[in-house]
Amino acid sequence: MPKIFFTQPDATVTVVEGQPGDSVMQTAVRNGVSGIVGQCGGSLSCATCHVFLAEDELDRYPPVSGDEDEMLDCAATDREDNSRLSCQLVLAEGVDVHVTVPPEQL
Amino acid sequence: MTPTTHPAGTEYPFGPMPPHEAAEHYHRIAADRPMTRMTMPYGGDVWVLHRNAAARQMLTDRRFVREPFRTGERVVPYFVEFPAFLRSTIQFEDPPQHTKLRRLVQTAISPKRVRQMRDSAAAFANQLIDEMVANGDEANLVTAYNVPLPIQMLANLLGVPAADHEKFERWAHATLAVANMDEQERARNMGELYAYMLDMVAKRRAEPREDLISSLANARDKDDTLTDEEILPIAMILIVGGFDNTANFIGAGVMALVGNPAQMELFRTDPDGLAPTAVEEVLRHSAFTTGRPVGGGGGLVPFVATEDVELDGQLVAAGDAILVDPTAVSHDGIALPDDERFDITRKDNPHLTLNYGLHHCLGAPLARMEMQVALSELVKRLPGLKLAGDVVVDMDNLTRPVTRMPVTW
Repeated sequence: MPKIFFTQPDATVTVVEGQPGDSVMQTAVRNGVSGIVGQCGGSLSCATCHVFLAEDELDRYPPVSGDEDEMLDCAATDREDNSRLSCQLVLAEGVDVHVTVPPEQL
Repeated sequence: MTPTTHPAGTEYPFGPMPPHEAAEHYHRIAADRPMTRMTMPYGGDVWVLHRNAAARQMLTDRRFVREPFRTGERVVPYFVEFPAFLRSTIQFEDPPQHTKLRRLVQTAISPKRVRQMRDSAAAFANQLIDEMVANGDEANLVTAYNVPLPIQMLANLLGVPAADHEKFERWAHATLAVANMDEQERARNMGELYAYMLDMVAKRRAEPREDLISSLANARDKDDTLTDEEILPIAMILIVGGFDNTANFIGAGVMALVGNPAQMELFRTDPDGLAPTAVEEVLRHSAFTTGRPVGGGGGLVPFVATEDVELDGQLVAAGDAILVDPTAVSHDGIALPDDERFDITRKDNPHLTLNYGLHHCLGAPLARMEMQVALSELVKRLPGLKLAGDVVVDMDNLTRPVTRMPVTW
């Protein structure tokens, strides 16, 4: 089962097991991981599931779409080169994910 | 068909009772079942969701739609007759039309854009407080503060020029329940507002600026199938949704703090720092901090199931209507420990008061910012703030607006 490592702003790390096919956002919300809101439920219309994806894992996911790109510009914490909306990061069997949670989502 | 009887102590809906009893009652209901089938005064039966997790599941399942209500094929099962003009707005659209419309404005009311408006919101809040203080030592907070602040912020967001703010406020008031205008005057004001917005759209189409009307006006660049008739109602729903509700919640925040001296004391120690979590807690718990008893039977706008769906063990049949009780899901005794307590420091607040999923409140970032600024500036400037009389609520209105909140400082 893929594991997600969430690094919080205070450097604590939460590890959660996810299901292939679920998104990082869904897994976070379902497991009560702090700091990921996902208000729109994953429909690319809120920018509140923003995460920084580990640089060396960026190429494991389809690139940022036009819609995701537009919403990343709207995030409460300024985007970086490794910013993703975690509702768009879909888990795959055998592929762990390392993300950092930004200080603000709302 | 014989109605289902529920175990004693889990009746729903239920009449007003002291807040502590109401919380326990909500807990018992959610422990017994995820939802209750209820017959509404209008529109027949609807499932009412009590559990937070089940509500999130329904709200993110695309098999629940609003089209039958939009077309008028089904009457909206609700407590009051649902106003026809609201049924023509984005709230009652489904994908793909919903997505097209929402995409036009979601970047304009984003968390980032709203942060950029924060300083001007704080400046205006202080201006309102200056006027209150200059006018004496008592005020009706509703008319002096709770209502003018959201109107001003929305005018700024939309891009209404400063010279037109006074007119805009008068028209916007007409959409507000607090106005208590007669129907003819209301219709005239709404007509003038609509004409004004159409004119602004034309102006911004010719000369776009960095405001929401420009985004709407130039929507046809993004999608030339959209007409002004489809675009304008978005502005209207922002105005309708953005005043009453925001003003009510600012007032609710004041009531919650004034009624919880320990939390008010805590808030005063760091208003700016605590405002974000305080606002989420007001959104979650304000039904319990009005000083009035709490009843059970509220609901957000319903959906219709397009096929059989099992939610948390309950089968919702194709064609069934379903809605979320926002007070219930914030007090289900499951999603949050100690949900009866008003605690302004709670992190990761799971409330669904601003809805969730596709139809989550379009103005949520703005509403949150306004509430944060409204409460923190008030507490900074008027640390001795307290109620100076009875709060008056207009119960004959869809949004149950507070019309009077006498305060002194």
